[in-house]
Amino acid sequence: MSKEVLYGLYDDENDLFAAIEKAKAARLDIMDVYTPFPVHGLDDVMELSESRLHIAGFVYGALGTLTALGVMTWVFTRDWPIIFGGKPYFSFPAFVPITFELTVLFAAVGMVVTFYVVCGLGPFGSGATILDDRITDDKFCLAFDTTGMSQIDVEKYSAFFDGTGAEVNRKTI
Amino acid sequence: MEQQFTFTGKQKTFFLALMALGAICLVLTYIGDTATPHHERFWTNFLHNSVFFTGISFIGLYWLAAHTIGYSGWHIGFKRIVEAMTLFLPIGLILLLVIVAGLYGGWHHLYHWAQEGITDPTHPNYDKIIAGKSGLLNKTTYTAVTVFVLLAWAAIAYFMRRASVAEDTEGGLKNYKKLKLWAAILLPVGAFSSAFCIWLWVMSIDSHWYSTMFAWYTSASWLVSAMCILTLVILYLRSQGYMGHLNKHHLHDLGKYIFAFSIFWTYVWFSQFMLIWYANVGEETIYFKNRMDHFPVLFYGNILINFVLPFFVLIRNSTKWKAGSLTFIAVVVLFGHWIDFFQMIKPSIWAGLKHHAEHAAHDAGHHGPEIADFMMGFHFPGLLEVGTFLGFLGLFLYFVFSRLAKASLVPVNDPYLYESLNHRA
Repeated sequence: MSKEVLYGLYDDENDLFAAIEKAKAARLDIMDVYTPFPVHGLDDVMELSESRLHIAGFVYGALGTLTALGVMTWVFTRDWPIIFGGKPYFSFPAFVPITFELTVLFAAVGMVVTFYVVCGLGPFGSGATILDDRITDDKFCLAFDTTGMSQIDVEKYSAFFDGTGAEVNRKTI
Repeated sequence: MEQQFTFTGKQKTFFLALMALGAICLVLTYIGDTATPHHERFWTNFLHNSVFFTGISFIGLYWLAAHTIGYSGWHIGFKRIVEAMTLFLPIGLILLLVIVAGLYGGWHHLYHWAQEGITDPTHPNYDKIIAGKSGLLNKTTYTAVTVFVLLAWAAIAYFMRRASVAEDTEGGLKNYKKLKLWAAILLPVGAFSSAFCIWLWVMSIDSHWYSTMFAWYTSASWLVSAMCILTLVILYLRSQGYMGHLNKHHLHDLGKYIFAFSIFWTYVWFSQFMLIWYANVGEETIYFKNRMDHFPVLFYGNILINFVLPFFVLIRNSTKWKAGSLTFIAVVVLFGHWIDFFQMIKPSIWAGLKHHAEHAAHDAGHHGPEIADFMMGFHFPGLLEVGTFLGFLGLFLYFVFSRLAKASLVPVNDPYLYESLNHRA
């Protein structure tokens, strides 16, 4: 199903913040905001619930810790015990650097993959179209969904952009 | 925007009471301690706390310089507190001068290398290894480094503070440029000179031993402690109605500092440990063998309190900015790093005493005091140590608060003030 989208482009994130506050005060339904890079404080203003990505990250990290410790312990005490430099088979300090590396690796790769899946990016893409190519470069976008709205309502939304310094466009996606 | 802090009589009385407690504890340690031959418990406590708080003051200066050079804006809202912390450096010099005076007066036996005849091959005290290191480990170098380095730090701290306060009334960019200049001078000078200081003050207690990681490790310990004190002072001032211009993101960033540098501390601690453990060279391993065999509570407790605890408490988003969790972790970790310095100093002194007592037992006619396998104040901080710590903390905070009252809490003309007021994480 296609959507009629009315959107405004801003040059600066501070203008975007001001526009969001104004739209919230006027009780307009914001479809979404798009920015070329992560903007601090945007999720607060948009009243989004806290991301759960970091919880996934902790779980992946813990998985990495267990994998590294488990594999090294099994290899060096059961599968192929070798004495290195007179140290015991299970020599924990020697395992720490590798455990650390695997924890970081699992957490980082796991979070990137999860993020891509959740956002429908890359090979997991949903085929969503980009409203305006410049959003991926230097423009900040505030978008309203105007599908099926009456002419009066659409004008109300258009009028909102007046005086906020936006470049206004309409697009069917 | 101007905000004036008043150092109330109640606060003064409280800090003076802490100082009195510390003084009483020091006196009691000096006269009451019969277990060690040369008042070692008193002198190690004095050295431990002097080095700990002087280092916190220095690392505050280093932190300030690094932020000034890095075009940082977020810290401007509370940089007056860090400035006040750096002004403790002259007191640190006085405290360490007592140790220096003790070297010449023979008051303490903290440093093996300071013994009479240690470099003289005909003397019974002769030690070949220390003789080879005597170019660095001698009284003149110790005195010169302590005096000149601390004077240089204190001078730079004074000049940076003066430029910062002058900015309040004069405005313009003149004083900001001065701050940049002093910061640029301090960064290399402070980094190298602090390494020399810590080698002489603490590492040389184990005169035969050395570690190239030692200066990193202690600096990280100081940095975490300084962040904890800074956070606690900010939270206290906020509870008294000051610092209203700071928001949760400032606190969040301080929480991140404590979290990140607790991990960094663990990283350098472990780097030092693992290289020595792996190579297993006797003269290096002795340092950790002594601690692991005779001081297991301190040795393993150090890791628990300074890594495991802050890691799991601060890993959550909200615990990094909520006042309750921040206060808890800052208090515990500050004490934890005080324990860290405790276990750098005490086990070495104890091992020296033990070694000496065993030798004396061999030679007929020589009977020093028996050195026990568990000694309060060496294997674990006793009430006297905690009291001494509180005394030094009172001294430090008295100084910080009195300097804080001498200028506006907000540097009103700092070019980055607006950025700090609008700080978002």
